[in-house]
Amino acid sequence: MTANAREKILLYILIAIVLIVFMTPIYLIVVSSLKPSALMFSRPPTFIFTPTLQHYYDLFTMRPFHLQILNSLIVALGSTAFSLVVGSLAAYAISRIKSRWINDVSFWILSMRMFPPIAVVVPYYIIFKSIGLLDTPLALIIVYSTFNIPLTVWLMKGFFDEVPEALEEAAQVDGHGVIATFWYVTLPLTAPGLAVAAVFCFIFSWNEFLFALMLTGSKAQTVTIAVMSFWSSDAVQWGRIMAGSFVVLIPGVIFVLTCQRWLVKGLTMGSVKG
Amino acid sequence: MSSVTLRNVVKRYGQLEVVHGINLEIDEGAFVVLLGPSGCGKTTTLRMVAGLESISDGQLEIASRVVNDVAPKDRQIAMVFQNYALYPHMTVRQNMEFALKPQKLADGEVDRRITEASRILGLEPLLARKPAQLSGGQRQRVAMARAMVRTPKVFLFDEPLSNLDAKLRTQVRLEIAKLHKRLGTTVLYVTHDQIEAMTLADKIVIMKDGHIEQVGSPEEVFASPKNLFVATFIGSPSMNLFQMTVEQAELGLLLTSQPFSVPVPSPLLSKLSPGRQVTLGVRPSDIRIAAKGEPGSFEARVDVVEYLGIEALLNLRIGSQEFIAQVAAAERPVPDQDVSVFFNPAGLHFFDSQSGQAL
Ligand SMILES: Nc1ncnc2c1ncn2[C@@H]1O[C@H](COP(=O)(O)OP(=O)(O)O)[C@@H](O)[C@H]1O
Ligand SMILES: [Mg+2]
Repeated sequence: MTANAREKILLYILIAIVLIVFMTPIYLIVVSSLKPSALMFSRPPTFIFTPTLQHYYDLFTMRPFHLQILNSLIVALGSTAFSLVVGSLAAYAISRIKSRWINDVSFWILSMRMFPPIAVVVPYYIIFKSIGLLDTPLALIIVYSTFNIPLTVWLMKGFFDEVPEALEEAAQVDGHGVIATFWYVTLPLTAPGLAVAAVFCFIFSWNEFLFALMLTGSKAQTVTIAVMSFWSSDAVQWGRIMAGSFVVLIPGVIFVLTCQRWLVKGLTMGSVKG
Repeated sequence: MSSVTLRNVVKRYGQLEVVHGINLEIDEGAFVVLLGPSGCGKTTTLRMVAGLESISDGQLEIASRVVNDVAPKDRQIAMVFQNYALYPHMTVRQNMEFALKPQKLADGEVDRRITEASRILGLEPLLARKPAQLSGGQRQRVAMARAMVRTPKVFLFDEPLSNLDAKLRTQVRLEIAKLHKRLGTTVLYVTHDQIEAMTLADKIVIMKDGHIEQVGSPEEVFASPKNLFVATFIGSPSMNLFQMTVEQAELGLLLTSQPFSVPVPSPLLSKLSPGRQVTLGVRPSDIRIAAKGEPGSFEARVDVVEYLGIEALLNLRIGSQEFIAQVAAAERPVPDQDVSVFFNPAGLHFFDSQSGQAL
């Protein structure tokens, strides 16, 4: 066996381990969501059973789960979009302004992300209550953006730093204004950064639990809270929790796969090197 | 008519002044080269003309309009950057289209210009490629095509050949010369390479430390350098310098250095008095091998002979003074022997040793 082949086998083994670690929960979720409730905790575990869609049926009939998915989508996409717009503009400014104090500003922005969320839950509750935003998607969009924007700023600053200023100067000399230059030259070259930022913002917003629990009631409830609500004091409806969890996985996967096509490396290659 | 005019243009970065009041007139259609060593302020000057750097003081006119505060996009210029600055996410064709977009031309006109530029620069087979799929020379040509399609008032070039290998450099240099001849557009071209400057320029502007040292045609700066800096910067191999003292002799004034002397030419007689320190400059090509005992020749030792095919460079020594002579290869002596050398009297340059200015 050549060294190369041995290396390959080792690589596949490592990949297999990682896959097992990450896929087991998903496997359990899928299998449990299809298992009749009676077999859920049978011992020894039942591997062979007639799958049922009862849990999925319950999910959408006993609860307005589709509306909760819609809430989650509004909140996650809303916060992602808002954070990308504000965050990348801020990052662009920080990347291009040459000054000592700008580093302090960017560190201060990052420090927002270090804040323990629990510390601001109550103030947020009081503020949103008094301005009538409690139990609205907008409240969650605002709160999530305070976490997503700093992340976006930091991520995008690195990408903007990589875009050679000569390209922007070329566009200006070619007769383009600042906005056209940013839109047609700078931004497209940071597409991988935007994609990564979008994925992080979306996943954070989609999965967030604490603020969703405190700031929403029945109207704006998101899926994380909805799934949790099948766990009540008298019964834990594992089947529905699992079915809910699986449904919740899907939009995230679709979103990440959509963003993945922008994750191309080396976009700036060939621009300014001989 | 003057196409670009700089009047006392100054550039300061905070306290640091890097361009000290430059005056320059560039005629319509001229090819002007800013030449000088690295760090002398060429790029800064060019970028001020482009509008990419603010002008700290003075006035800049393009086509008889003061443009100090006009944005780059409204200056009707085109620039070829040192590292090309091609838009990497666009194909060659899109690069040109994007450069034309602000002019809001009809589609037919856009196509016509792109077709013409690609034909002139041989880019037709490359139009669908991205910059990453091009060689250095091809990228350079795309950068020129992108500048060309815009039909600007002035072309600005910042060391456009410095990223190319030697062979390609000669080739692209020729292309730039042809392009200028064909389009007749005013060019302001920055380089530190005196051969580029000599071959391309109608007018060379030699800069040093943010000052202009001399402005003139290639012939002028080569034949009558205004000072020691220009004298040694232009020409390769560079001019030989000898420290001499003016002495009174029977027949008139002589410039002497220990082992040899030359007579002071008549136009300078009135300017020099005995005891004055003078630097004598002689280009290697103005030195030839003489017959033994020829009047006005000196004995020199041949240290090294560099054979270059048509010519040979002789590293010579008189006493401790080393200098270089450029002679026909057929006439080259063998090393480590004494030869007689003769300085062409018409090729002697005299500079004041203190100020470095030509006498
Ligand atoms: N942004 C800047 N801040 C401070 N000094 C600068 C800046 N840009 C250039 N300089 C200085 O100005 C001088 C001229 O630079 P430059 O025009 O790039 O020279 P050249 O193109 O002739 O090599 C250099 O000494 C350089 O260090
Ligand atoms: Mg430069």
